[in-house]
Amino acid sequence: MLSLNRSIGLNAMRSSNVIRPVFVRSFIKTIPQPPGHIVGDVNDAYVPPPPSKSHGSLHWTAERVVAVGMVPLAVAPLISGTSTLIDSTFSALLLYHVYAGFQSCIIDYIPKRVYGIYHKLVMYLLALGTGVAGYGVYQVETKEGGFAPIITKIFKA
Amino acid sequence: MFRQLRSVTTTTFARGLATSAAKEPRLKKFEIYRWNPDTPETAPKMQTYDVDLNECGPMVLDALLKIKNEQDATLTFRRSCREGICGSCAMNIGGTNTLACLCKIDQNESKDLKVYPLPHMYVVRDLVPDLTHFYKQYKSIQPYLQTKEKPADGREHLQSIEDRAKLDGLYECILCACCSTSCPSYWWNQQEYLGPAVLMQAYRWLIDSRDQATAARKAMLQNSMSLYRCHTIMNCTRTCPKGLNPGKAIAEIKKILAFD
Repeated sequence: MLSLNRSIGLNAMRSSNVIRPVFVRSFIKTIPQPPGHIVGDVNDAYVPPPPSKSHGSLHWTAERVVAVGMVPLAVAPLISGTSTLIDSTFSALLLYHVYAGFQSCIIDYIPKRVYGIYHKLVMYLLALGTGVAGYGVYQVETKEGGFAPIITKIFKA
Repeated sequence: MFRQLRSVTTTTFARGLATSAAKEPRLKKFEIYRWNPDTPETAPKMQTYDVDLNECGPMVLDALLKIKNEQDATLTFRRSCREGICGSCAMNIGGTNTLACLCKIDQNESKDLKVYPLPHMYVVRDLVPDLTHFYKQYKSIQPYLQTKEKPADGREHLQSIEDRAKLDGLYECILCACCSTSCPSYWWNQQEYLGPAVLMQAYRWLIDSRDQATAARKAMLQNSMSLYRCHTIMNCTRTCPKGLNPGKAIAEIKKILAFD
């Protein structure tokens, strides 16, 4: 298999150059990937990452619960008018929803397998951004009376 | 009597000639991806072949075989059963992953047909992709019956008709890899994401009433990569040449695991 890989140009250098975008190729050092994605022997079974429910089913369920929970909170102010409780809950859920979405993008496009430390770096950056946005949400909710009045103002203007 | 017979044969012969002369060759262009591992310095290219549709069978595989037999013996592709049960001739035809033996040639000669190997796979040669990793992934889900107890009657593990019916639409998969290689998530992360074909088989063994390794099978999927890289893009279901629904199978796994 190894000799076959060599003869068909599947060496690590080549494969990582094919996959990596130009920006990444020139500025960021990525982890070389095994030829043909094959770890171990050709007859060995693929070994999945260690099980972790918080990254698996619990994460998925939380994402869905939040997404579904946002629907009534988005509709409620249109029917019964807004309150700080609805407004802040909705803002918090939306923040998590957006955070989870970006997290998914990062796992898809900046995988730890290829980008190593940069994956962690971007994850921290996202957490920081979410933290700042959370602080902003807190400020708006406490000092400006929530997002619903702001949106109403925009619509009237 | 003898003369009469002779005149009949002459007429038939003449008519046969007239018919074949009347049939104009219907040449259709086939653009086929070529890459040779013996000359790795040469970039892959598209090579065009003219095929007379009058002289060719109805399926794309017929055209490929005709090209290989009559025009270019170096054209390389996998094929075996020519009836959609082996999954060898999976390739990207006219932009869709499908089996060459089940894909009819568009009879409009003015349109060229492009044939590529399965997308985003390492290419061994021409239309032959390297499926080693795909098979390693299939092996990792342990696609065989695992039981703790011996069968009750000492001979075989019995299953009710209803339980057997749950496996319909799952067991028919021929592992041609059309669905997995049509999935963008599999393109980006195939090293860790199992892909629709393998996940559908994982589901097939999860819901088998005779299997007793369910806990281990579930645990294997409990990470961010193996299962949850599925974002319900549904290319898998759209492309499946056997008309199966891997997207639904993955959704069912997610439901089983949701409150696990």
